[in-house]
Amino acid sequence: MKKQRFAIVLDTRRCIDCKACTVACKVENDVPVGGETYRNWVTEEPVRGTYPNLGQSFTPSQCNQCENPPCNSVCPTSATGITSGGIVTVNPDKCIGCKYCMLACPYDARFYDSEKGIIDKCTFCIQRTLVGGIPACVETCPTKVRTFGDLNDPNSEVSILLAKNKHRVLKPELGTKPFLFYLI
Amino acid sequence: MSTLTKKPGYFLWFAILGACLLAAFGAAGYTFWVGHEQAFNVNRGVPWGILISTYVFLAISCSGLCMISSLGHVFGFKEFETISRRAILLAILCLIGAFGAIGMELEHPFRMYYTILSPNLSSGIWWMGTVYGLYLAVLVLEFYALMTDNHKLSKITGRIGLLLAIAAPSILGAVFGLILARPFWHGSFLPVYTIITALVSGTALILLVMYFQHAVRGIEMDEKDCRVIRLLGRILRLVLFVLIFSVFWNIIVGLYGQQPGIYEPVMALINGSLSANFWVGEILIGLVIPLALLIRKDRTPFSTMMASMLALIGMFFMRYDMTIGGQLYPLRYQTEGLANGLFTYSPSVSEVVLVVGCIAFSALVFTLVEKFLSLDLKSEHHP
Ligand code: SF4
Ligand code: SF4
Repeated sequence: MKKQRFAIVLDTRRCIDCKACTVACKVENDVPVGGETYRNWVTEEPVRGTYPNLGQSFTPSQCNQCENPPCNSVCPTSATGITSGGIVTVNPDKCIGCKYCMLACPYDARFYDSEKGIIDKCTFCIQRTLVGGIPACVETCPTKVRTFGDLNDPNSEVSILLAKNKHRVLKPELGTKPFLFYLI
Repeated sequence: MSTLTKKPGYFLWFAILGACLLAAFGAAGYTFWVGHEQAFNVNRGVPWGILISTYVFLAISCSGLCMISSLGHVFGFKEFETISRRAILLAILCLIGAFGAIGMELEHPFRMYYTILSPNLSSGIWWMGTVYGLYLAVLVLEFYALMTDNHKLSKITGRIGLLLAIAAPSILGAVFGLILARPFWHGSFLPVYTIITALVSGTALILLVMYFQHAVRGIEMDEKDCRVIRLLGRILRLVLFVLIFSVFWNIIVGLYGQQPGIYEPVMALINGSLSANFWVGEILIGLVIPLALLIRKDRTPFSTMMASMLALIGMFFMRYDMTIGGQLYPLRYQTEGLANGLFTYSPSVSEVVLVVGCIAFSALVFTLVEKFLSLDLKSEHHP
């Protein structure tokens, strides 16, 4: 079997900003309550147009599990690493807490969890996905904004979605090769 | 040296520095007790605060001291040989102070051994830590050689030390310059700029040491000392002129074209949350007044010392503004936690006390060593 390469495809037009994904993530991954501790978030874009012709978009996001992750390049102790499925993880035993990775990540995906004393980030719920499950945020989304799957499998739902739809990634110019894809 | 102990100012000096150190120990204890989140004002948006900028300030000063002192014992300019011992000693102490500052900012400094067990050679911080670590070892050896008048060893260690003195601040600049996500830092400017600024801090510090080593002990400066001070004053004037252009172009490049991520931090400098630091700290105190003092024909050792002191204070602001400025621009669209579209940061009391403590440590140990060891060369022994 070919090595897996996990990705999430997001259809932001379906997002209703209910924030179920952020709550599900906090519960699943035991992320402390607090304004700065979160693995995923929903950006409320500015309102467009003038009344009564108004529109607003919501863009959920999290770690992009980049193929060329700057957070990995800068980590002095190799605490950050890339594991199976292309998931970027932090080994808490090796992390010295220099926070260089927080500065190097162009997506603000990392934060310091002072309760556990670790640098934390989204792992696509590695505890679920490595045994065939799907991430909590994907599972909980009521409007099915997110689709999770293996891009190395041409018949996976994510591969088909990307084949059939135009899509974009965030900050492609930085060369990070993100694996969160946004349908357009 | 016995004259020293009789001075009341001398006791005051020790009392103040001792109090600063004690306060810093208190702040360190408090920080370990309640955690960085409580004690420090760094946050998700601005993870690197004043302790990192102080580390930058002290570590680069250390390199500058070596560069300038190498004029004597590496390049053979006899006039400068008198300053070698003090310069290298101060360089060692600045570096230890710098390590103290960064050690306090790290969440888990005791896991540092993983930089050896599982090194990541593509990490700027790995290179910086390794080179500064080696550099400290070379400096200690160099100091030993200078104190024992071992000319062969001091020449060898001086040369290696000089190479590392140039490489180390440059790598430190690269720690910032390599961060593609932060346009205000990214590029090859910082690795070169840090070398220029190392010369400013180094020259200024040596001038201060030269001046106070005489003033405190009540020793008259002889003609040779005055000549060295004049010469160092000219070097400082030159590097400050060069620095003006670095600062000028850095600002102009940031304004020109208004590139997101560069423009906003530059505006924070000239008209935003960092503007007092920039105009008063960097420009007025750090550049304009020192230059005005240094271009005067009738400058005295005292006015040269004042210029150095101010230039050094200016450098501290410059490090701070560089470190904080690069983090102010948010990485994604957000509204919460921002003021005028930018993150804000001002150091907490604990952070400031720790910074003062690190600087006080270097100053205190320097004065202690000065008191107990003879840092004068035999040729210029003062009775
Ligand atoms: S999004 Fe950030 S944390 Fe995630 S892999 Fe990319 S650089 Fe690293
Ligand atoms: S904070 Fe930890 S994971 Fe991040 S770069 Fe430093 S050592 Fe690596």
